[in-house]
Amino acid sequence: MESQHHKPMKVRSTPADKAVSVVTYVIVIALCLVILLPCLNVLALSFNDGKDAARGGVYFFPRMFTLMNYKEVFQDGSIISAYRITLARTFIGTFLSLAVTSFAAFALNQKELPGRGIIIFAITFTMLFGGGTIPTYVQYSRLGLIDNFWVYVIPSLVSVTYLIMMRSFFDGIPYELQEAAKLDGCGYFGTFFRVMLPLSKPVLAVVGLYTAVNHWNDWFAGAFYMTSSKLWPVQTVLQQMLSRAMSASTQQTENVAAAIAASQSSVTTDSLKMAAVVITTAPILCVYPFVQKYFAKGTLIGAVKG
Amino acid sequence: MCATTCDKIENLQRESSMRKGKQNPSGITIRTKPLWKRMLSCWPLYLMLLPAIVYYILICYVPIAGNVLAFKDYSFRKGIWGSPWVGMKYFNMFFSSYDCWRLIRNTLHIGFIKCILEFPFAILLALLLNEIRAEKFKKVTQTITYLPHFLSSVIIVTMLQRILAPNTGVLNQIIKALGGGGDTFFLMQSGYFHRILFTMDIWRNIGWDSIIYLAAISGVDQELYEAASMDGCNRLGQCWHVTLPGIRGTIGLLFIMGVGGLLSSGFEQMWLLRTPGNMAVADTLDVYVVRIGLQNGQFGYASAIGLIQGLVGLVLVVATNSISKKFTEVALW
Repeated sequence: MESQHHKPMKVRSTPADKAVSVVTYVIVIALCLVILLPCLNVLALSFNDGKDAARGGVYFFPRMFTLMNYKEVFQDGSIISAYRITLARTFIGTFLSLAVTSFAAFALNQKELPGRGIIIFAITFTMLFGGGTIPTYVQYSRLGLIDNFWVYVIPSLVSVTYLIMMRSFFDGIPYELQEAAKLDGCGYFGTFFRVMLPLSKPVLAVVGLYTAVNHWNDWFAGAFYMTSSKLWPVQTVLQQMLSRAMSASTQQTENVAAAIAASQSSVTTDSLKMAAVVITTAPILCVYPFVQKYFAKGTLIGAVKG
Repeated sequence: MCATTCDKIENLQRESSMRKGKQNPSGITIRTKPLWKRMLSCWPLYLMLLPAIVYYILICYVPIAGNVLAFKDYSFRKGIWGSPWVGMKYFNMFFSSYDCWRLIRNTLHIGFIKCILEFPFAILLALLLNEIRAEKFKKVTQTITYLPHFLSSVIIVTMLQRILAPNTGVLNQIIKALGGGGDTFFLMQSGYFHRILFTMDIWRNIGWDSIIYLAAISGVDQELYEAASMDGCNRLGQCWHVTLPGIRGTIGLLFIMGVGGLLSSGFEQMWLLRTPGNMAVADTLDVYVVRIGLQNGQFGYASAIGLIQGLVGLVLVVATNSISKKFTEVALW
């Protein structure tokens, strides 16, 4: 995508062009600041003494540096076990999704498959119309998924968008390679594992990252399909903390401040939450720059064929 | 490879049923076999498809059939099919209820913000990024603007709640420093709700949504720019006369897809941003369905509302698509 756009042939910048340049840079830099500063604020708060932060005035650097918030999060047994659930569902869910999706995408990419058009139509239709929230819930409960760990994995096993992305990617691999493999005596499975999969690393990386992020960030399944808090992923734990704070916000803030001042611990719910937010977000931010180069390609494939 | 007339006719027939299947030499020999033989020879493919097909039947199509819940007095013991029919009872109940028009108004308001108001911003960012010649700067910008897309709604609302807190939140501190009161409870006042939602959405999505437009822009024919510049177009002019028309198709497609979500957009945010103070505007159809369905157990009633949403969404996409097809030749299908 980069380096393809036009270079001005003649260096003939009019004053108007220069003005456009300046305005462009100003807007883009401002946007980046607007995106980064709130994150910095949260980071600063997570490293700041909770009681001290409650007095206000902590912007982008911690005023009273402490690691207590993080220590508290790691000592909280329920948060640690929630992390375990999140990790488990992310790994199992992503692996199974990639397996089922790539199998299906490969099969649907074989032109000789009878019924291909009908199956593709039936799958794409689910993008436009689906069962509502309640019929879906009833079906999950009939399948025994409610209060079951697999409710995190099975409902998000295949996504139409990612299926279409993979199929389009397979479409772009020269058909002669598959034909050669078949002539060499590879069956469909052989062709898939020996020819297609090794060539599909970019699309597997992108779809894998998207799926993993969806798993990592999902709180809905935990909040509505899981009554026992023992199996909640970390996002649901955070969501419950948040909704308590949101509905408690009718109280006078002075009361809250007073309660904080009266408590012995220097860690407040707020500072604890900020630390949890940072810990929960960090892994995604570590992985994503490595996959970033595939994004443009992935989105374009998904859109053109979608 | 010389196909007989008979083969050709057969091919044509198959072609129509197989939707744009490209011809290849080996395909022709396979296609002359009867259907069941062709199916049999593809058994490994069906095996590969099996998990996905089972998934779509159990997780997608059974709930679609389960929409009949909207016409049933559901009891857990009797199941969907055993429960007695009640006809249009829940639909009448909904349209004559006190909540109905408030919910629809709120939903349309949110849908309008999300599908229409927010729509042009990603295009603008893509156009801006396209004007930036410094590759390194552009790359860093992209990395930063894509970032919020990867944060969960829970994380974002948690951050928001801290930043917007009265007195101690950063925003109020800044207002105070500028001479304001600094004790505004943004999340508790319904007047701020739509602005908060709009800002939060732009913050989260602008970078990510711009990717697709950037990709489309990179596909615009470079000679057009040269021609425009010969004709005396400056960069703003090129942007207006070359880039925008060049990505018209992409813009149209994304708009059509967005319109389907007019009645069902942003459940997660709405659910998380709700406070006792802004309930009057934050209660949308989505939120209501979960509230009365999953939390209060009124399955039939909630299903009816969900069905209305789904059908309206379907009709909107189909209608927008056919209108667009007629006037601009941009269409999803």
